[in-house]
Amino acid sequence: MSGVLAIDGIGMRFGGLWALTDVSFEVEPGSVVGLIGPNGSGKTTLMNVISGVYKPTTGEVRYAGTRIADVPTHRVCRLGIARTFQVVKPFANLTVRENVAVGAMYGREGTRRSTRASFERADELLEVVALTRVAGRAASDLTIPDRKRLEVAKALALDPEILLLDEVMAGLNATEVDEALELLRTVNARGVTLIVVEHLMKAIVSISTTIVVLAEGKKIAQGAPSDVLASPLVIEAYLGSRWVKRQEQLALIASEREEALRVQPPEAHA
Amino acid sequence: MTAATLRRVGLGGITGNPIAFAVVLAIMAVLLAVPLAHNGYVEIIFRNILMYAAMSYGWNLIGGYTGYVSFGNVVFFGLGAYCSALLGAHGVNNLFADVAVACVVNAAFAALVGLPVLRLRGHYFGIATLGIALAVADIVANLDAFGGTGGLALKQVDQAHFSLYYYAMWLVALGAMLATYAIARSKLGYAFVAIRENEEAAAVLGIAATRYKVTAWAISAAFAGAAGAVFAPANGFLDPSIAFSIDSNVFPIVMAILGGIGTVAGPFIGALLLAGLNEILQRTFLKIHTLFFGAIIVLVVLLLPRGLVWLFGLRGGARTWLKSLAGYRA
Repeated sequence: MSGVLAIDGIGMRFGGLWALTDVSFEVEPGSVVGLIGPNGSGKTTLMNVISGVYKPTTGEVRYAGTRIADVPTHRVCRLGIARTFQVVKPFANLTVRENVAVGAMYGREGTRRSTRASFERADELLEVVALTRVAGRAASDLTIPDRKRLEVAKALALDPEILLLDEVMAGLNATEVDEALELLRTVNARGVTLIVVEHLMKAIVSISTTIVVLAEGKKIAQGAPSDVLASPLVIEAYLGSRWVKRQEQLALIASEREEALRVQPPEAHA
Repeated sequence: MTAATLRRVGLGGITGNPIAFAVVLAIMAVLLAVPLAHNGYVEIIFRNILMYAAMSYGWNLIGGYTGYVSFGNVVFFGLGAYCSALLGAHGVNNLFADVAVACVVNAAFAALVGLPVLRLRGHYFGIATLGIALAVADIVANLDAFGGTGGLALKQVDQAHFSLYYYAMWLVALGAMLATYAIARSKLGYAFVAIRENEEAAAVLGIAATRYKVTAWAISAAFAGAAGAVFAPANGFLDPSIAFSIDSNVFPIVMAILGGIGTVAGPFIGALLLAGLNEILQRTFLKIHTLFFGAIIVLVVLLLPRGLVWLFGLRGGARTWLKSLAGYRA
């Protein structure tokens, strides 16, 4: 039943503060949407609205014709929408394997799965996220990168069509980020649509097909990664003027290097 | 090995340590022989241990597995006892019928009360259940049909078949234990534990928290009700102070904590030790036995926060234990 996820005029108010105002965009099946914006721009709030944790003050999120706001939280995953939490929420006293199996038991395919089949599914997914080596450990024993992997495995156990990833790469080192990106590409290749909130610009540019930029609760840009990053509005709101200067410097260095190579042909080094 | 790993040592998964469970089953088998000793007093002590064990298994499902600490489970014991007493007063003298009716009535009552109350979390749930316990006891005390504060005298116990109640209580305790084992290993058990560990995360994984909490409490109520249904005719007399006593409310909770909450062996081990200890202390220090009792509970909670079942999986002796104490966070 995969279809377009429509985010339509979302506004979200907390007391006197509008965390989101009139945010609209659509997510095509199979795409990877990167959601970026400075701290406090409303990214996590939007994730909470899409996953049905918050009911929006205005507007609505629809997936395959169903209004998410009408669906209780525990039923959202039955629609095919799963999420990870920015602050990971593992079941600390269960093993890694059990954590994932719970998702398999109660997710979209859960009613058709026996306990044993759920554990088999968990084993498959632990393989996918490379956690098989710690399957029998308590979730509370895991390192931060492994907790993030577990969070992804739990969400995948729900057999989602759309996966919302809230800062799964925060706190990871460069190698771990590369591994995480590889994992997300694998997941996307299996037909899962991804909505990715991330601070790491390099990571989000390399994986997204579309980028949506939020600033102070408003959508200020949307489009292909290169176009969005070139937009002066985005540079100003999010990246700051220093970034622009640095890019110019980098371009200058690169052209000088090219120049130098042209003067001294490669044979001279041999 | 990190402190976190140590905390985990010996928990042995969702049913708890398998060795502990095997030991408990063996003790249960031995307990079948108690009536052969032909000592009425000893038999009553052990019957009470089995009764508390069944109630403790009930509390363990909602308080231990699901993480909703109930201070009102005595209501179900009391109502179960009254089911049995009232059936007796109307000429039904069949223990199977008593237990079956008590289970159904209590599960239904728990579900009815649980639907609003289980939406509360943490301390608020605990206080609400305490309120229910007090209210139900008062209502029963003021109902003529229940015998009021004067109580109900049940049909005189047939001395020739006195041990019948012992065996019935043994079956109730065994049933509660095996049901806990089966539930813990099923999808239901994982839903309970997921709710305990993090209710919000459980909901996102597709678990309808309220439904499963109500289910846990209903089963919990059935266990306590069954114990009450056997207790009433065995005791021969029932009034609100017996049916809804503080002991019957507090003992099962302390027993589960002492033995190890969220394990299958814990409540039985806790019941055996605590009821046994209570008996010894009462004989030795009649007037101040509760003082010692309290001190022992405090020591156990401080030194064995994971309960006695945890010791079954402990490797490395005292050093590991001391390290784990240092690393323990509630």
